[in-house]
Amino acid sequence: MNPDRKEYHQIGWHVLLCVIVLLLLFPIVFAVSNSLKTLNEAYQTVMSIIPHNPTLDNYLHVFKRLDFLKITLNTFFIALCVTVFKTVTSILAAYAFVSYDWKGKGILYFILISTIFIPFSVTMIPNYLTVSSLGLNDTLLGVILPQFADATGILLIRQSMKTIPKSILEVAGMENSSGLKTLRDVVIPLIKPAVISTGIIFFINSWNEYVWPVLVLKSRENYTLSLALQMYISSEGGTEFTIAMAVSVLTMFVPLTLYLIFQKYIISTFTASGIKG
Amino acid sequence: MDKKRKIIPYLYLLPSLAAFIVFMFWPLIRTIYLSFFDWNMIKPVKEFVFLDNYIRIFTDPITFKVIGNTFLYIGLLLIVNCAAPYVLSFILSHVIKKGKVFYKSTFFLPSVISLVVGSILYTWILNPISGPVAILAKGIGITIPIWSKSQGLVIVVLSIITSWKVFGYNFIVVLGGVSGVSQEAIEAARLENVPLRKIFFDIVLPMSSATGVYVFIITIVQGLQYVFTPIKVITQGGPNYASSNLIYQSYHEAFTLYRTGGASAFSIITMILFIALLLLEFRFVEKGVHYES
Amino acid sequence: MGFFMKDIILENVCKAYGGAQVVKNLNLTVSEGERLILLGPSGCGKSTTLRMIAGLEEITSGKLYMGEQLSNHVASGKRNVAMVFQNYALFPHMTVEENITYGLKVNKYPKTEIEQRLSDVLEMLELTALCKRKPKDLSGGQRQRVALARAIVKRSDFLLLDEPLSNLDAQLRQHARKELVKIHDKYRQTFVYVTHDQIEAMTVGDKIALMYEGSLKMVDTPKNVYHKPANVFTAKFIGSPSCNVASVNREENCLLFGAQRLALPECWMEQVKGRDRLYFGIRPEHIRLGNLPADGALIATIKYIEDYGNRMGVYFDVEDHEMIAVCDDNAPCPGQTVYFLPDFEKIHLFDYDTSDSIGYPSNLTRSDLNELVYQYKFA
Repeated sequence: MNPDRKEYHQIGWHVLLCVIVLLLLFPIVFAVSNSLKTLNEAYQTVMSIIPHNPTLDNYLHVFKRLDFLKITLNTFFIALCVTVFKTVTSILAAYAFVSYDWKGKGILYFILISTIFIPFSVTMIPNYLTVSSLGLNDTLLGVILPQFADATGILLIRQSMKTIPKSILEVAGMENSSGLKTLRDVVIPLIKPAVISTGIIFFINSWNEYVWPVLVLKSRENYTLSLALQMYISSEGGTEFTIAMAVSVLTMFVPLTLYLIFQKYIISTFTASGIKG
Repeated sequence: MDKKRKIIPYLYLLPSLAAFIVFMFWPLIRTIYLSFFDWNMIKPVKEFVFLDNYIRIFTDPITFKVIGNTFLYIGLLLIVNCAAPYVLSFILSHVIKKGKVFYKSTFFLPSVISLVVGSILYTWILNPISGPVAILAKGIGITIPIWSKSQGLVIVVLSIITSWKVFGYNFIVVLGGVSGVSQEAIEAARLENVPLRKIFFDIVLPMSSATGVYVFIITIVQGLQYVFTPIKVITQGGPNYASSNLIYQSYHEAFTLYRTGGASAFSIITMILFIALLLLEFRFVEKGVHYES
Repeated sequence: MGFFMKDIILENVCKAYGGAQVVKNLNLTVSEGERLILLGPSGCGKSTTLRMIAGLEEITSGKLYMGEQLSNHVASGKRNVAMVFQNYALFPHMTVEENITYGLKVNKYPKTEIEQRLSDVLEMLELTALCKRKPKDLSGGQRQRVALARAIVKRSDFLLLDEPLSNLDAQLRQHARKELVKIHDKYRQTFVYVTHDQIEAMTVGDKIALMYEGSLKMVDTPKNVYHKPANVFTAKFIGSPSCNVASVNREENCLLFGAQRLALPECWMEQVKGRDRLYFGIRPEHIRLGNLPADGALIATIKYIEDYGNRMGVYFDVEDHEMIAVCDDNAPCPGQTVYFLPDFEKIHLFDYDTSDSIGYPSNLTRSDLNELVYQYKFA
């Protein structure tokens, strides 16, 4: 096979992959583009990506109409709390699995994984009742409370802890009397990338969460961004298309920014989770 | 001293375990319990009806529609988010030479975006009258049907939305598994003059099968739950339950029809399906990995 | 040069990764049916060279001919090449039998042919009892044989081996070396064998190509590589314990070791003409140490003794030069002063600037000095 044929093959694959890239990124481009158009322009020039008369009206409208700042703060507060809780509990639990040998490890591991297989439709009613009976209905705390721990987080952190050579843990164990010290001084610094990416993932997922907040939160002032967004959806269309695009862009902003900054960590953590068996 | 040391790992585990027990396992038991009662979340007294809820569900034609929808979702989801990522990750890791980081990065990007946002965006993009896809289609002479009102198509659209979010994540995980296949084994096959297609099916696929099964299972478990959001936000299960699935139906029974018993029964049925998947996962993926020495 | 010769010829072959040149202008011919060893320390480019021949690495520049055909861009599978990988590269999900016959099946060989070749190779490598097992149920040595079987069953013109024995323990390696030579004797393929182990190279190879930092240092038979090293690197790399090499000045017919003088035999005078500084090389087994003074012997101090079981390694200093000799019996003790004489038939001299050998005299004769040497030992 001469080198030219090989090149053609390569180009063919690249074309395919780029088509997929376009399909995946198009909705985002669509949103940004239309958020900068006036409603009329949006309807008339559906096919053009760059707006002729770009305008920030839609965004201004958003800030006026919704109490946008408050909603963003709600979302941020929930995401932050959930991230902290889940990260801490995951690190502790993963450490238990990795550093010690104890009875029932296998069973508990099984139980851990099984939580991923419990669909939320099973837990939603009882958790809703629990939260209500604690008087936390329609509060941010009510959203946060059931999200104290996360099995996926434990698995991801455990996986990265396992890459630490056992001998290092043993040496540390001989120096320290406390496992917590070893955890703090030796283990966590060595798995920093995994901790960061797990934390970012928790944050992004919480930021985007819809299912549980929609059950718990009722009043507008407690809404998160996802809930505020749903006000703009109607399958028939409507007069708020461009505003909906603006809110979408604003909602996407934080996750996308976090992703762009930390993408190397995030991708490598999930890639590693795919190496099984 | 020894006793104290023995308790320590359990202490580390405690916060997570407590959260799981309170918010996952106890609710599971409570839901099983509730599925035997007739209740509407408000009445002070629950009426014990034993298997009535289950019987009602299984004799209702809507149920079979819902189950059918569930399988259709799963099928579509698996093709786009299990089969396709597999082939593509093989191409990325063993065929093309440049641009790997770029593709990995852009494929994963939609996975960090909210499904609510995705739902809005696709509602407009796929708008049968004024959306860009409709206009492009008109240019070729095809009119897009109003998918929000048509039986099978509505599921296709919902699958597209969920796939948009899930594809990148699955791709990265599968890529991990496929990249893990020993480079030397593939080189050995190349030296034997094995064509690319056969290398994929005979060597890469079997050697990354654990990852494949894992992704297969996760796609079903997470896909069915993810699709709840677009359903709730766009179609609310309609038209006429054509877009509802097992999970949404449970929600519908609970918070729209206030039939707690029925909702619980639906979720238990879903749970049984998921338990079957859990057992599969342990048999084919974990393979005693957790029995550490 | 005749027709249809199954030689491998590398002409000015280079390989670069980004800015780094890993193989520099390699010119090498592997004759048909020959067993050529690519030997060298880690990072010298030997594996890269092998992989270029296999078609697993692109050749940056230069030409590769395999069996008279320009093969730079021929796909691996079409080069009529079989390879044994360092980590064996067995397919874990296939049985031994399936691993061995996979290539033949994919290339649609007739069933009877496949069965015949399979049973031949199973018998030859003593794998018949294991043919239904999977790689994970095999020991390291067994896996290595399966990898070998897979390569041989192809009956290709060229067989490439990338450190095939490095993961085996010493005893198995000995046995495997013999097997490899047996296989070659039967099938007469052109072997290219990569290793960093010089014993393997010396015992398995017809010809050794010694590489260092991407270039060839010497290509010759094992005997010549050992007894007539072309440069200092070769002298030091081959042989264990390694050859002693000292940089010395020359005055007339003497080599100066600090204040002491070692007289060279007359036959060397022609070679050393015009050179004031040289590298002097002598292998540890060609050194004589004694505790009685002798004419021309140098005074040395013993530093350290290593016991190898069947021999002793004696580290000693001659002025500023550290050397090592091997002795079989009564060894001296550390701190002791002894007298040192090299076997003058076995010395090597190298040019100081280029490190290349200055050759050997055509009339290497025993001199009077030598006579003394042979009688020299410890009283």
